[in-house]
Amino acid sequence: MELLPQYLANGLVTGSFYALSALGLTLILGLMRVVNFAHGELYMLGGVMGWWATTRLGLDFFSGLVLVAVAMGAFGWLIDRFLIERIRHQGEEPGILLTIGLSIFLANTALLAVGTAPLKVEAPISAGPLFLGTVVLTKLRVFAVGVCALLIAAAWLVIHKTRLGRAMRATFQDPMAAQLVGVRTANVYAATFAMGTVIASMAGMLLGSIYSAQVAVGGLVSMKAFVVVILGGMGSFAGAIAGGLLLGVVEALWGGYVATGWVDIIGFALVIVTLVFRPYGLFSKRAERA
Amino acid sequence: MTMMKLERHCLVALMALAALLPLVVRDQYVLHIGIMVLFYAVLASSLNLVVGYVGEFSLGHTAFLGTGAYAAAILSTQYGWPMWATVPVAGLLAALVGVVIGAITLRLQGPFFVIVTLSFAEVLRLVADNWIALTNGPMGIAGVPQPALLSEAGNLGAKQFYYGVAWVLLAVTLYLSFRFVHSNAGRAAVAVRENRYVAQSIGIRPLSYSMLALVLGALLSGMAGGFYAHYISFVGPEMFRFAFMVSMIIMVLIGGKGTLVGPLIGALLVTFLEEYLREAKELRLSIFGLAVIAIVLFLPRGLMGFVVQWRAARAAPAPQAAAPKAQGSAA
Repeated sequence: MELLPQYLANGLVTGSFYALSALGLTLILGLMRVVNFAHGELYMLGGVMGWWATTRLGLDFFSGLVLVAVAMGAFGWLIDRFLIERIRHQGEEPGILLTIGLSIFLANTALLAVGTAPLKVEAPISAGPLFLGTVVLTKLRVFAVGVCALLIAAAWLVIHKTRLGRAMRATFQDPMAAQLVGVRTANVYAATFAMGTVIASMAGMLLGSIYSAQVAVGGLVSMKAFVVVILGGMGSFAGAIAGGLLLGVVEALWGGYVATGWVDIIGFALVIVTLVFRPYGLFSKRAERA
Repeated sequence: MTMMKLERHCLVALMALAALLPLVVRDQYVLHIGIMVLFYAVLASSLNLVVGYVGEFSLGHTAFLGTGAYAAAILSTQYGWPMWATVPVAGLLAALVGVVIGAITLRLQGPFFVIVTLSFAEVLRLVADNWIALTNGPMGIAGVPQPALLSEAGNLGAKQFYYGVAWVLLAVTLYLSFRFVHSNAGRAAVAVRENRYVAQSIGIRPLSYSMLALVLGALLSGMAGGFYAHYISFVGPEMFRFAFMVSMIIMVLIGGKGTLVGPLIGALLVTFLEEYLREAKELRLSIFGLAVIAIVLFLPRGLMGFVVQWRAARAAPAPQAAAPKAQGSAA
């Protein structure tokens, strides 16, 4: 039992990473109704580009992060304007297929470009330990949790406090009405997808500095992000955070007290249980639309 | 009704052609490709029952394939069951899994259904990876025995035998699918697919018909999995991997979902494409990904959807008949 605070701390740290990784997915899913199977690959590209920027270009971590955000934002914008726009309003299925195709293409092309080896993103601070009572964490992880919180808060502010955010919410409530009052909805869709891409890639780079960036990680990231999104409820900000923290803590406790081999199964078990008792997630207010 | 007849004639003709292949060709490599085409045709047809006729997008079909493969492998290696028993039992076990998964997932729609079916396949993959006592973990089960009668036949004889088994499996699949699609149950499922609320208002219970389609699909892909276990004689957790799922989806969509002929054409095209792209080695998957994107953008209803549309245009009433004809000759 004396290890409980340590497990909880580890779980909360991992959980905040999960929350950030899932945030881009829940935005795109909740606002645009696009099930983005390329989410994990966008995350992976962020990590790989972060590695490239910090080791090959010799940038420091934060300039690298800005570069990644700008480049991936442009990439996300282009994906929406050239691919997703053509299948808009045709239901979920074409979007699923399109993003599956995109994820296969991105994963394999990145594999050809940089290979399978883990790539280390240069971290901004040292990895030394930090003692908080009986709990030990590395400085780097505490720092990363701080960055997670900042990014999540920034995304919330963009959606709730800016003109663009208002246009987004209007478009997704009623595209026709939004268009009638002068919102350029095509740009709003593209901006939403770009924003989801930026968050995913920044998460990829941030976590690439703690673990490492790896080309093959995409599928796993997508799965975990889906788990978090289902747990929290689609499109819900608070849900993504709560779902991420919940998954992190439960996994840490399970790994600590029961068995490490089965840790990955917990998320899926939680998803199935959630769907039996609360089909639209812990935080979603509305039921699925017809 | 003409559509139903056309479909039946197409299926019979394709199966007759497939039956002729081993009589003409004695090349083992070609026969192997033929077996894989038949195997994938069974899988794609069974997935099509869910995707095309229930209208919900399942990404968990590998759950049934893998269950069937593991069932056949375990029953034959540990209990010494012969192949004619393991394959049907593999199907039944997969159908049982289908009942459990269906009971939970069919109440969901849209993205929820997609992700939860995918979660089930992932759970089973993790079980296969971790329950080492039963599944031998990531090492998989090697040396799944071949039927006794193949001990004297050479490599070519074995290929011919498996080709025959796969052909029978596909024939059973098509027969059952055809009977289902053109029965009242199948029409009810289509009604639910087209408009759930109208269907409910005329007394169709969505859950029971979609369940029937899902369980039938599970049964068929479970048998395909059992067949695969014996043919390849190895089963590992990769059976549950997303890669298998991707191939199946592409086959169904390229051919045209909601038609019985479509998945066959899809299986044929994709298996050949995969073999052909083997030359391109590393680039293969990149090209595959681009192909998927291109299909979604330019061929949204698949090749069969294209044919159906063309026939509908030709059968259009007289005043419009001139225009499609002109288009037809231009093409």
